[in-house]
Amino acid sequence: MKATAPAITFHNLTLGYDRHPAVHHIIGEVARGELLAIVGPNGAGKSTLLKGIVGELKPLSGRLDLDGLTKRDIAYLPQIVDLDRSFPISVFDCVAMGLWREIGAWGGLGASGREQVVHALETVGLVALADRPVGALSGGQFQRVLFARLLLQDAKVILLDEPFRAVDTKTIADLLRLIERWHREGRTVLAALHDIEQVRAHFPRTLLLARETVAWGETQSVLTAANLAKARHLIEAFDSHAHAHAPVCDRDDEVRASA
Amino acid sequence: MQNRLVALFGAALLLLGQPGGVQAGDQVTREKLKAVASFSILGDMVKNVGGDRVEVTTLVGPNGDAHVFSPTPADAKTLADADIFFVNGLGFEGWMERLENASGFTGALVVTSGGVMPIVMRGERHDHDAEDRGGEQDHADQAENEAYDSQGGGNTDPHAWQSLFNGKIYVTNIRDALIAVDPEGQETYEANAAKYLTAIDAEDKAVREAIAKLPEARRKIITSHDAFGYFGNAYGLEIVAPEGVSTESEASAQDVAKIIRQIREEKIPAVFLENVTDRRLLDQIASETGAKIGGVLYSDALSGSDGPAPTYLDMFRHNAGALTAALSS
Amino acid sequence: MIDTLVQPFIEFAFMRRALVGSLAISLTAPPIGVFLVLRRMSLMGDAMGHAILPGAAIGYLLAGLSLFAMSLGGFAAGLAVALAAGLVARSTVIREDASLAGFYLVSLALGVMLVSMRGNSVDLLHVLFGTVLALDDGALLLIAAIATASLVTLAVIYRPLVLECFDPQFLRSVSAWSSPTHLLFLVLVVLNLVAGFQALGTLMAVGIMLLPAVAARFWAEDVGGMIGVAIVSAFLSSVTGLLVSYYVNVPTGPAVILACGAFYLLSMFVGVRGGVLWSLLPRKHLEA
Repeated sequence: MKATAPAITFHNLTLGYDRHPAVHHIIGEVARGELLAIVGPNGAGKSTLLKGIVGELKPLSGRLDLDGLTKRDIAYLPQIVDLDRSFPISVFDCVAMGLWREIGAWGGLGASGREQVVHALETVGLVALADRPVGALSGGQFQRVLFARLLLQDAKVILLDEPFRAVDTKTIADLLRLIERWHREGRTVLAALHDIEQVRAHFPRTLLLARETVAWGETQSVLTAANLAKARHLIEAFDSHAHAHAPVCDRDDEVRASA
Repeated sequence: MQNRLVALFGAALLLLGQPGGVQAGDQVTREKLKAVASFSILGDMVKNVGGDRVEVTTLVGPNGDAHVFSPTPADAKTLADADIFFVNGLGFEGWMERLENASGFTGALVVTSGGVMPIVMRGERHDHDAEDRGGEQDHADQAENEAYDSQGGGNTDPHAWQSLFNGKIYVTNIRDALIAVDPEGQETYEANAAKYLTAIDAEDKAVREAIAKLPEARRKIITSHDAFGYFGNAYGLEIVAPEGVSTESEASAQDVAKIIRQIREEKIPAVFLENVTDRRLLDQIASETGAKIGGVLYSDALSGSDGPAPTYLDMFRHNAGALTAALSS
Repeated sequence: MIDTLVQPFIEFAFMRRALVGSLAISLTAPPIGVFLVLRRMSLMGDAMGHAILPGAAIGYLLAGLSLFAMSLGGFAAGLAVALAAGLVARSTVIREDASLAGFYLVSLALGVMLVSMRGNSVDLLHVLFGTVLALDDGALLLIAAIATASLVTLAVIYRPLVLECFDPQFLRSVSAWSSPTHLLFLVLVVLNLVAGFQALGTLMAVGIMLLPAVAARFWAEDVGGMIGVAIVSAFLSSVTGLLVSYYVNVPTGPAVILACGAFYLLSMFVGVRGGVLWSLLPRKHLEA
């Protein structure tokens, strides 16, 4: 029996692009304060699911409930950040944007705001580079900047899409510690990841996707060899069919018929 | 008896066949001569000489700028149907050759400025120009020649119609061309032209008298477009055109400064706008020097029919009036 | 020396007015140019010069050679093109540059057709475009008013605008200001361009907006710094251009823009941030 309502509820959710579903018929819940890893082969629909949660994609069918959470309560780190690295902005100013919720479009940072930014930079180990332009950072350093910004957003739900791609191990280790801290603070964290061992070591719950739910629950029981093979299978089968002329999906009718 | 009936019948036919007709070869429905004039001033002249016998179409209409005119396919069609095409010449119609070729025009091309003694635009002016104009004109002052900078080359000034003396040459050229193409109308054309020439003479006299009334020191103006060279020569007016301030090129600060200095030093009383270009620079010069803005002078085009200069002679009347109003006070 | 620099302005009112007009435009256009350059919209100024034609044509058809009517029409047309392009870029697959190209070409073609319908050969745009030497009271007031409005608006939307250029995804996720900021910015661009065309002519209007902004990249590391450098260099270039036009007898608009260009080239070589000369000199690297 859960004491509080789940943070996110999926009601037979299907998300995709241009009528082609990328992820089908997802049913389930994410509890408040849960630390959930989303794994699956390439093309499994992990990014799509996160985009659906944050509202960037409208559902093709089904529904998504956010238990009263608004956009402001969700912090989202996309995989391909559509951000201009050559823009003349300093690390400090970039991270300070995380305080938007508090200072808005016109508010000054103030002494306390500045302190918070410095603190966030300390947490990710970038204080020394505060005045550098973001274009001067390495991939790993830049990822730390984005995490620091996320920190300041102080959000109830944090969505991370492949945050560790092309990032050095030391940074990964540091950022994983940060994620665990968020979990301790009671925030709901969902992270799409590709490194299975990483997930086994740090994430208590996992959702295994292969364009649909393969398994969902305690990491140990989800990440079995059998499940992983099934996931691979599903994706390969999908890939080998041309989906340019896919028929209309009638799975909903089947579900209704069997219910 | 039968012969008489035939004769009567024949006479009746003859009479019926020519209602009111007196001269042989005079028909009821005579097709008008189709003439095209390149711009509104020529169009007006051709209408005056041609009268009812000629249907005139003008390419660059009232307030139009022939210098930047770009002919359309409709214009080419109009020209193709025409019997006679009147152009000014002297480089006024840069687009003429293109249009002629495009339309396949096979009629008569008449350059109305034939026989006019051209003057050179802002270059050295030759003394013999002044002499050859004969007694119809006050002898031009050397000073008028020097009103133009000696910068820039010897470009011919095409605005020859701005002198009524030249206007008469235009009219005789038009008359002779019409007669050549339509010999049957010779009497009409000669009569119309004679009437028109008399009117031109009268206007010419009026303009001279008006200018003569102005004190000599005040017979200078600045105008934005270098179109009044012939007018200035003919009627004893010094025209200063700001260099670089035209429809095509952009002014330099030095040019503007020079004009302002000149106005101040020579006490030029009036600045005139011309009906086809941007007036703002001239406004600026006038406000800085205190020179009067004398109104609009019509140079390259007539005004619309509701404007002050709908015909060639009206144009002169208006321009002379504006000049005297600004310069006499 | 000082006398040479100052004398033309003392002697002639038109030079003083040109100076004031240049100052006003140097305050308002370069900051907008900085954002245009950062958003990779640098060619928008040129496109706008063509896009305003149908509006000016309609103004002319309705009211004759009235500068007010034509400017108003031009502004409306420019705004329509800019906003349409902006909206299409935000809500379809078409990106900003293609979107703008599409709309301005349609606008230009429409304008050409409208002008030919009248059958008159008045070169509309030529009449509409002014010169800095002919700034009457009306034009000065117009530039001053627009400069004030632009600076105030920029101050207000500064932070959202920076974020919109840098990380539009993030802005969308934290604020509803993304679309309004973008569209408000476009309004400012069109406003400054049309006023600039009318007062100063196309070359000077677009040039003053963009060249100082491009050059500023070589001197400053943040947006605020770039704006400062751009404003100062724009004004100094204007003064230089005016003086050169006065003493060397060359047209003013091109002189100003060539001065801006000279500063740009200079910046490329000796600008402290990324100037070519610095990278050629052997310098010891820093410790960290």
